[in-house]
Amino acid sequence: MALGLSITNLTKVWNADGPAPVPAVNSLSLNVARGEFVVLLGPSGCGKSSLLYIAAGLEQATSGTITFDGLAITEPAPERSLIFQEAALFPWLSVRDNVGFGLSIRGGQPQERAERVDALMKRVGLGGIGDRRPEQLSGGMRQRVALARALAMNPELLLMDEPFAALDIQTRARMQEHLLEIWKSSGASVMLVTHSIDEALALADRIVVFTARPGQIKAELHIDAPRPRDLRSPEMIELGRECEALLAEEVTKAFAEQELL
Amino acid sequence: MTDMILSSAPAGPNPRLHAALAKARRRIVATAWVLASLSLFVGIWELAWWQKWANPLLLPPPHIFLTNLPDQFRFFDPTGARAGALNAGGSIWSVLGVIGWSSLRVFVGLVLGFAISLVVGLAIRYFEIFGKLVLPLVTMLAPISPVAWLPVAVFFFGIGNPPAIFLVFIAVFFIMVLATLAQVDAVPKHYIQLARVMGASKRQIYLRVILPAILPGLFVTLRMNLFAAWMVVLIAEAVGVGSGLGQVTMMARNTFNASLVFFTMTLIGLTGFAFDQTLGLIQRKVLWWVGPSTVKGA
Repeated sequence: MALGLSITNLTKVWNADGPAPVPAVNSLSLNVARGEFVVLLGPSGCGKSSLLYIAAGLEQATSGTITFDGLAITEPAPERSLIFQEAALFPWLSVRDNVGFGLSIRGGQPQERAERVDALMKRVGLGGIGDRRPEQLSGGMRQRVALARALAMNPELLLMDEPFAALDIQTRARMQEHLLEIWKSSGASVMLVTHSIDEALALADRIVVFTARPGQIKAELHIDAPRPRDLRSPEMIELGRECEALLAEEVTKAFAEQELL
Repeated sequence: MTDMILSSAPAGPNPRLHAALAKARRRIVATAWVLASLSLFVGIWELAWWQKWANPLLLPPPHIFLTNLPDQFRFFDPTGARAGALNAGGSIWSVLGVIGWSSLRVFVGLVLGFAISLVVGLAIRYFEIFGKLVLPLVTMLAPISPVAWLPVAVFFFGIGNPPAIFLVFIAVFFIMVLATLAQVDAVPKHYIQLARVMGASKRQIYLRVILPAILPGLFVTLRMNLFAAWMVVLIAEAVGVGSGLGQVTMMARNTFNASLVFFTMTLIGLTGFAFDQTLGLIQRKVLWWVGPSTVKGA
């Protein structure tokens, strides 16, 4: 039995029974080990987000198997938490209640819950803002609240769909550092989707480059360099070039396909 | 422009006082605009009278129908009973009583319409079979004017408050059911996915995510339909109830009392305005978060 996320020959076709089926992922196999940080890199619409939603249990694969710690994924579970590009905080709840939302669904002692929420907010560096409303926060703060909300469920797998894409470049760098700290201390696996090569280089144990739709794995790059990484080091620049070349091929293919339509 | 000047002014030694002053000033400016809007309208009307463009018997200007107040007051029966006799009314209290009766009918009808349409709308989405059975019916009944329901209201409820409340209810119910559905369908997908990932059951998703997500938008819809409710209550009062502002208007029409018509219209306008402002206040204070398909502010 493989620990962590295990995907074998997975195919996803959107609108499979309809008049215009859209293949999103084609016979893809991928393993994410316990505690591993995997970044999915690929052109837009290559099916990497589809894969994330299937791993979250929000969508079903058309064929193939997907398991977590050996158990088939058929529905969402708090141990596999999902983070979106926009934080998707509930505007009617305070920041504290947003962080505690999952805990309150689960039930339990209110006192214990409140303590846990306070601890989580400190952990993501937002100790003093529990009573504020989400709309009063900056984009980076909102994303940290979303992270705290996910961490509250003690996830073993964090699925992140371009979580920092909407942030400015400075905030983005800080959030990446922050994510790395949290990832190390939590021991969770991370599967993060991005189309920023720099982000992939800064974060990943392993970069999985996707082909154009329908998504398949084009290449896998392992990065052993310790973090924080200097993206200007010759080694990183070389890796970056490699990613860029791989991606460029696929983007060209995707464009060519769109022109045929 | 005024707002910009106010907000860019440096905070004095007491920022709280400064903020309060700025707020008061904004209120005064807003009120001044309301008065200016009103004055413009009244001014044109008075000008028409002064220039003898309009027949004062048919179109008496405000200074006429607002000055012979004791005369007007006689037509208002505060008990909510069938008025028309000139003996019961006569004071400002009787006028307020009549306004109160009409307002009460609108209020009760709106509350019932809002609550029941919300429950029915949510149930249509929650229980699939219920939805399939009920939705076509609602869609077919929605375009029927509340006026067409008037005879039905009288058959069912006779004369008095119930038919008027029923008509207000009808005026908002079907529209609000459809609005509830539209709002439910517009709840951001990510909210629901997130709740599912957190382990929420269907019931919890409806109560703790969908319901709070749709309330502000529904409230805006309710506020828009408030005026429809007022129009309907007047018709109901004129025909099926026999008391209230609608009845007074009808009586004024029958007795060819133009002054009274315009006086009552003024009262209706002011009361409707007050209702709208109150709903706006509730919206801002209680439902501060803004739904996905609503406009901020207002």
